[in-house]
Amino acid sequence: MVEAELWAFIAVSSVAYMTPILLVTIGEIIAERSGVVNIGVEGILLASAFAAVAAAFFSGSAALGVASGALAGALIGALFGLFAVYLRADQIIAGLAINLSSYGFTVLGLIALWGHHGASPRVEAELPYFSLGQGSVPLLSLLALLIAAVAWLLLFRTRAGLALRACGEEPSAAYAMGVNVRLYRMAAVVLGGALAGLGGSFLALELAGSFTRGMSAGMGFIALANVAFSGWNPLPAILGAYVFGFLSAAADALQQEVGYAYLLKTLPYLGTLAAAALLGRRSIRPPQRLGVPF
Amino acid sequence: MAPLVFMKEIRKVYPEGTVALRGASFELLEGEVHALLGENGAGKTTLMKILYGELRPTSGEIYFRGERVSFRSPQEAMRRGIAMVHQSFALVPTFTVLENLYLAISSVRKVSQGEVRSRAAELGKELGIEVPLNARVEQLPAGMRQRAEILKALLLEAKVIILDEPTSLLTPFEAEALIALIRRLRAKGVSFVYVTHKLREVKEVADRVTVLRKGLNVGTLQARETSEAEMAKLMVGAAVERAKRRPPREVGEVVLEVEGLVARDEMGVERLRGVSFSVRAGEIVGIAGVQGSGQRELAEAIAGLRRPERGSIRVRGVEIAGKPPREARRLGVLYVPELREEGLALEMNIVENSILARQRGHARGPLVDWGSAEERARGLVERFKVVFGSLWDRAAALSGGNQQRLMVGRELSSRGALLIAHEPTQGLDVTSAEMVREEILRLRDEGMAVLLISSDLDEVLELSDRVIVLFEGRSVGELRGEEASIEKVGRLMGGAA
Amino acid sequence: MIAALSEVALALAAALAFSSLLLLALGYDAASSLLTMFSYGFGNPEYLAAVAAPLVLSALAFLIPFKAGMFNIGGEGQAYLGALLFLYASQGLGALGIAAGALAGALLGGLVGALRAFLGVNEVIASIMINWTLFYVTLFSVSKYLTHPEYPHRSIDVGFSLGAPYSLLLAALAALAAYALLYRTLLGYEIRVVGSSPRAAAYAGIDARRAAVISMAIGGLFGGLAGTLKVMYVGHIDATMSALFGVGFLGIGVALIGRANPLGSVASALLLAGMIIGGHWMELRLGTPPELTDVIVGTTVLVLSAPYALKLLLKGGGLGGG
Repeated sequence: MVEAELWAFIAVSSVAYMTPILLVTIGEIIAERSGVVNIGVEGILLASAFAAVAAAFFSGSAALGVASGALAGALIGALFGLFAVYLRADQIIAGLAINLSSYGFTVLGLIALWGHHGASPRVEAELPYFSLGQGSVPLLSLLALLIAAVAWLLLFRTRAGLALRACGEEPSAAYAMGVNVRLYRMAAVVLGGALAGLGGSFLALELAGSFTRGMSAGMGFIALANVAFSGWNPLPAILGAYVFGFLSAAADALQQEVGYAYLLKTLPYLGTLAAAALLGRRSIRPPQRLGVPF
Repeated sequence: MAPLVFMKEIRKVYPEGTVALRGASFELLEGEVHALLGENGAGKTTLMKILYGELRPTSGEIYFRGERVSFRSPQEAMRRGIAMVHQSFALVPTFTVLENLYLAISSVRKVSQGEVRSRAAELGKELGIEVPLNARVEQLPAGMRQRAEILKALLLEAKVIILDEPTSLLTPFEAEALIALIRRLRAKGVSFVYVTHKLREVKEVADRVTVLRKGLNVGTLQARETSEAEMAKLMVGAAVERAKRRPPREVGEVVLEVEGLVARDEMGVERLRGVSFSVRAGEIVGIAGVQGSGQRELAEAIAGLRRPERGSIRVRGVEIAGKPPREARRLGVLYVPELREEGLALEMNIVENSILARQRGHARGPLVDWGSAEERARGLVERFKVVFGSLWDRAAALSGGNQQRLMVGRELSSRGALLIAHEPTQGLDVTSAEMVREEILRLRDEGMAVLLISSDLDEVLELSDRVIVLFEGRSVGELRGEEASIEKVGRLMGGAA
Repeated sequence: MIAALSEVALALAAALAFSSLLLLALGYDAASSLLTMFSYGFGNPEYLAAVAAPLVLSALAFLIPFKAGMFNIGGEGQAYLGALLFLYASQGLGALGIAAGALAGALLGGLVGALRAFLGVNEVIASIMINWTLFYVTLFSVSKYLTHPEYPHRSIDVGFSLGAPYSLLLAALAALAAYALLYRTLLGYEIRVVGSSPRAAAYAGIDARRAAVISMAIGGLFGGLAGTLKVMYVGHIDATMSALFGVGFLGIGVALIGRANPLGSVASALLLAGMIIGGHWMELRLGTPPELTDVIVGTTVLVLSAPYALKLLLKGGGLGGG
């Protein structure tokens, strides 16, 4: 491939690669704005990818696959919320537990459904595309951008968003003003889980075309880093997600060109680490009661 | 006529077993200002939180306009027209005043932000409650936040407003404005519960007063007909001998010298704006001032926990401004911090907490000498009457008063040259508080330099050989102990020259 | 102690109940599977020791920083790096390779601690990024430089091995040392004050940054040793990292089920090792996937994370038992 063409290809395919990161980031921004850190999004990404592939495989419908992925995400979000919000669990440990269980659960399912330890068969159900000039972009990627805008409106322009942010800033004050803090936090975590589930569906059905063991590969944590980079705001999150999508797309495209596949794969991780080191001490304040049970 | 609110034989036992209320009753008439008086821990706030639906009573009945009610949330209480203004305000600090008002009101009825804005402006003008609606709450002074809370209550069409220790964060000037506002609102038919432990305020503001002691009401009086002495006796149970200031034995050389100290708080607000003073061996210097006048920044800067912007702090002639806390400790600074969660590691046990900040003195090489640590802990709990289960229980398992005794005791029983005591008696019952005051006097008599910072003005006046008044981060007056009177100091605290 | 034990027992029971339901839903024989897991898992002491030893160490890797208020999720990466360096160094240095593996882990842990202390980088995110980076770096090294001349799908053999009993002995000694460090030394005291209350630590003049770097370095040392012991027992690193993968993550579960106590971690590592071995028997005899162990561990940790959940369970258990 010619140099310029290669980079143009990477730039366009970055849009697809950014999509799961963006969806997880938006979901996590909503959860963290309400005061709950869910590092279980990594596990949700994995489990929903599995659910999406399973549903699409047996029904032959990509739409059903996506819906199942989102539903699985919402359900795991609800389980996490039950512990983190209503049972006042340590949020980090509960999130770790979700990650650990999801890994085991998906491999269990992989073997139970297809008798294979490593990967599911390929799913032929295809997600719709949107033509854009000469190329085309997955419809879900556009939807993710739309969701970012809607989430921004929800958080910063509605009464529900105000109440939700109050839960993350000063839950006791929010409670005293008549906001049902736990309900809001629960709703935020379930919504966050559903969005991560949507991301997992896209990861499996669009980017990979099948389920492989451990396929989320830290993407949930890249999204967690992106939440902080974005200053807990869905619109700047698009930029962050694109940068990481670009690194992943570049790693995949370049390995076919130059080899060193394993080393190129470290690009998104090292990029995230570098960004975290450079931006770590910025003055943007996280929600004041982030991670504190109420 | 049935009272507006009637609370009958309310009992409240907290899950961990603390009995806060043992069958207290309370009645509020329409259009009255009813003071609820009692010591720390008498159950005043608990009783009012129950009325406001923030807590559920263990047993007892509540009537509102003669009808039995049981509020499960503040929201339900608010719908009936009961509002509460907390000591630590129930506002989201990072939101604007308008956002807070809108959030509170929209949770009771459907309303737009624009409507709230115009209604708030209108009501504010009518009642003289001016609050900048677009300012972020965290940037407002305490008096302004309180007015925002009262405005919020009025926008919710509250008929009953509960004020919990409303003047604790106010300057005397702001407090006067508050009392005037209460009178205006009473004339418009609003009833108030005024929770306080300050006798003077009861006489000033209330129609009637109910006194609570150890979770029981011990009397309801007409405020005009009673005296401070009578209320004090009811409140404490028996007349308690308060420590009398006694002249220092022998004042020695300068131990602490602070010069031109400037420091900011966490939000970057300049809280200390050039404070200078000194404390000599064998004297107590008291710092008076409304809370938030720079007291915490002052204490923390001397203890090495806050890096000052400018100025110098010398302990026994050694410059320590901006040096780590270990440096201050090495020079003999003992520090009772304002917050217990700072002076104690609550998740660690009593023995471990007994050596906090002097852990290196209990080391043998790289190891902790747990034998000597335990010995210290035993001595401490005995001398300061800490009630505990086992020395290996977490400090979090102790009651607030016992935590305070443990923390204060640890500092007061250490050797040192300078004691910084910030609110040393907070949360203590009268007897314990007196014991702590006696200990502070004893340390002074033994030659310790003492810097006493307290929001309890009586305490400052009783103990201090010199009183320095802080106002908005500046020292606005220095009086000798015997010439410092409530009136003089009070005026200075409000910023009057 | 008794309270901690009953909490763990109840959490495990809840997790087993959940796992049984999962197995039934997927069409496996739940009762026989779990029976096999527990009755066959503990039959071979040498195998048990070999599986448990790295788990003890990766639990310590999580536990020491945890006491300082940090989440070392990087035990995984520290284990990769430790394994890789031990594999390389043991070729020429023999037993001294162990030191290389441990030291590599310590440096890596200290680096994450320093990133957190001085640049404000969240240690969870930094750890995960480093885990995955090292995952690929290890694969790269094995496939490019350390490939076995005859078997291209794996690395050369390690140059030294302790044997299972001594591995477990080393791990147990490490746990004792960790216990002594935390509860007998001044450094341990200071680490625990920082972890339980950063404000009280500042008050007491304890340098929280120093505690962060040191505790992460010590954690990393144990993480590196965990990888070292694992690769020592397996004898090489294979081209899919199947033996190494998960050692660090499982250590988190081991530490939390051991109630964040070094000695508890030894007990919990032995229990989990038995379940892992039993899981393989379960697969062999009944075809039940061994990853059930991960589900059980995850669910147990989830229940243990919530003090309220435990209270509810204990109350329920109390009623059930009369």
